[in-house]
Amino acid sequence: MKEPALSRKQYTFAWLGLLGLTLLNTLIAFVNLGVWNTVIEIGIATIMASLVAGFLMHALYETKVVRIVVAGGVIWFLIFMTLTLGDYMTRGWLPFPGK
Amino acid sequence: MIEAVAAKTQKNYLNEKQGILSWLLTTDHKRIAILYTFSITAFFFVGGFFALMMRLELLSPHNWLVGVDTYNKLFTMHGIIMVWFFLIPSIPNTLGNFLIPMMVGAKDLAFPKLNLLSWYVFMLGGTVTVYALFRGGIDTGWTFYTPFSTTYSTTYVVAAAVGIFIAGFSTIMTSLNFIATVHRMRAPGLTWFRLPIFIWSMYANSVVLVLNTPVLAITLIMLAVERIAGVGIFDPALGGDPVLFQHMFWFYSHPAVYTMVLPGMAVVSELIPVFSRKPLFGYKAVAFSSVAIAVLSFLVWGHHMFVAGESVYSALAFSFFSFCVAVPSAIKVFNWTATVYKGSVSWDTPMLYAIGFIGLFTIGGMTGLMVAVLGLDVHLHDTYFVIAHFHYIMVGGTVMAFLGGVHYWWPKVSGKMYPEGLARVSAVVVFVGFNLTFFPQLILGYLGMPRRYSAYPEEFQMLHVLSTAGATILGLGYVMPLCYLIWAWHYGSDAGPNPWRATGLEWKSSSPPPMHNFEVTPVVTAKLPYDYEAMKEELQLA
Amino acid sequence: MPESATLACREQFRTPGQQRETASIGMWVFLANEVMMFGGLFVAYTVYRASHPEAFAAGSADMNILLGSINTAILLTSSLTLAFAEHSAQAGNQRLLGLFLILTMLIGLVFLGFKFTEYYQHFQEHKAPGIWFNDSSPYAASIQMFFVFYYVMTGLHAVHMIIGLGILSVLLFRAVLGTFTAEYHTPIMFGGLYWHFVDIIWIFLYAIFYLPGLHK
Repeated sequence: MKEPALSRKQYTFAWLGLLGLTLLNTLIAFVNLGVWNTVIEIGIATIMASLVAGFLMHALYETKVVRIVVAGGVIWFLIFMTLTLGDYMTRGWLPFPGK
Repeated sequence: MIEAVAAKTQKNYLNEKQGILSWLLTTDHKRIAILYTFSITAFFFVGGFFALMMRLELLSPHNWLVGVDTYNKLFTMHGIIMVWFFLIPSIPNTLGNFLIPMMVGAKDLAFPKLNLLSWYVFMLGGTVTVYALFRGGIDTGWTFYTPFSTTYSTTYVVAAAVGIFIAGFSTIMTSLNFIATVHRMRAPGLTWFRLPIFIWSMYANSVVLVLNTPVLAITLIMLAVERIAGVGIFDPALGGDPVLFQHMFWFYSHPAVYTMVLPGMAVVSELIPVFSRKPLFGYKAVAFSSVAIAVLSFLVWGHHMFVAGESVYSALAFSFFSFCVAVPSAIKVFNWTATVYKGSVSWDTPMLYAIGFIGLFTIGGMTGLMVAVLGLDVHLHDTYFVIAHFHYIMVGGTVMAFLGGVHYWWPKVSGKMYPEGLARVSAVVVFVGFNLTFFPQLILGYLGMPRRYSAYPEEFQMLHVLSTAGATILGLGYVMPLCYLIWAWHYGSDAGPNPWRATGLEWKSSSPPPMHNFEVTPVVTAKLPYDYEAMKEELQLA
Repeated sequence: MPESATLACREQFRTPGQQRETASIGMWVFLANEVMMFGGLFVAYTVYRASHPEAFAAGSADMNILLGSINTAILLTSSLTLAFAEHSAQAGNQRLLGLFLILTMLIGLVFLGFKFTEYYQHFQEHKAPGIWFNDSSPYAASIQMFFVFYYVMTGLHAVHMIIGLGILSVLLFRAVLGTFTAEYHTPIMFGGLYWHFVDIIWIFLYAIFYLPGLHK
């Protein structure tokens, strides 16, 4: 397939979006929203990462194989995170010491 | 009909360029495979030497040969060398390197220079690890559990960790190469479902390695940082959790053990159809099982930590997934068996090893299911039962598959046949030696003999003596092929391009193959990869 | 099948398109591999933050948010200039290619400069882990854990940036030699992918180290 090619205008818009989101993330962090702080800070970071990957790295325009590779990397990281945290979050649920 | 034109010239990849530099600077995947073969064979015998020393020590219930500190170093170095410098690279970097481009009809791998670099990186990692060995060894066990490895061990932990870290890069480079090759360098007409199962399994294997090896890298970095800087990442005094190390270590190491068995399965899936003269039963099931094993292997790592302190719910989940991962492996065993059934079986050496693999891998897999049961594992964890379980898979499985593959493709690689009679005898010696070594260990574990102990209660001595006797026989069984294969390289009778009358693109070229495998890119029009019926006539002529 | 191998279509490939696609798969698989490497650190960080939220917030409060946010903007800009370099390569404009590569490298150096300034500040305040650590709060041990992760993760990131600068230098050198044309410029594209990926890592590092301690 033809190599993905974006215009400088598209790259610039992506960059402006990234700067805006950085500012947004930073400003929101000053407000105490409890557990939502973490959700939002990671959430906005994820959106930013998607902008970089999708446009600056043109993953959105790449072959199916490449998009599967990207998805695979993310999913495998989530498997690691979920099952490990699953252990820590479920400790102490039984009334036995050490369980 | 599969059509390919291979140049029938006297020149082949072995003699086309001469001189030591043409080998050390080669980018030919076949020559690199030979370079790797030298390396892993050397490491195998080093690791085997440590095993022999351990078995000699265990002849007596009391320490008689080496002290406990040395014994700790022996089992650690045996594990490290065997796992990272033999088992993981063995089939992929030797048979995989040699065969993958040929099986997909390509001239070389996707990135030949990266391939050569991977061998040098592997050798560098091996050198650093051997350096740690000579400086005095390491005694933490191949599992590097904290806080012993980070705080209390006085041996060369960081050096060994660095060696393994470097070798990991070699693995990643090779796996990357294989993935890119299988995706984009297949010959025209070679669709995914016309590929040999060897390619499917090696591909799945490479995907696993690319995803798990970096986690090992980061775990070793954290281990080294804690040990050098004295900051307690895994130290309870600083709020650290030693079990977190285990989570990170086993996230890598459990899929890693599947990367030792998937290549073995890849080889066996090639051997069984040829020596049964029948297409592989359930091709798609076997192909998808390789992928399923690769995926599921990442969901089970906590089964190494059932008694380490992880939560019961977490343990339940890991136990459940461990049951799941046995299913695709079992599917493969059933399909291999169905292939042999009503086939026209010839008992050449590769087939002996393949059948041996099926039987021993099944026992290994069943014992694995047993330790996946939470209640049983409480009793069996850290006993000889676990040791026997994984040796049934790694030695009874992978090593036998490796030997089977080496014998099967020997005529292609060297152009010569090995002595069949002697080879059959040594296959039987290996089988007998293996079972005598490891079956008593299943019993020992059940009776409660802990692993990594050099002294033990008197009542276990008989079983240990049997095991050591078996180990000696097994060692003999490994030395025999080393000798006769080297002999056959020089003095064996000439093998034609296809002595086994097998299907597969690699058998279309001459033996040994020319430098670029194929003079003209083959075009594949056959509907099935193992169509022995349809190809009967052509194969008789081959 | 080309008789002689060229840069755009080496011996083992049939067409330049096949070479580009194969190289693309190789590069992206490598990036997935890097995701797992940094991922391990993120998992470990998450485990500890989940069990010591106040300590991690306290540690984060010690970060210099001004420097951190400016640095983030700087790094994001370097990704833009690099994307422009890739665009120039695709258009075959060698002069702009060289220019944007140099610009990217300079911005990257500024980022590293600010980063090391930050590290130096932390050392001065006795926030480096190990023997230098000095904190009197009740959860000093956990705050030290925060800083261990901060140093290891941003340190690993910095190592990747230095490697990235090395890669960009090599690309610049080859660009100056005139190697890259509109037909063949894949090393530029893949070097770019590496740099953008390191940028993504920083986006997450910024979120987890600089932001948690900002609110009371």
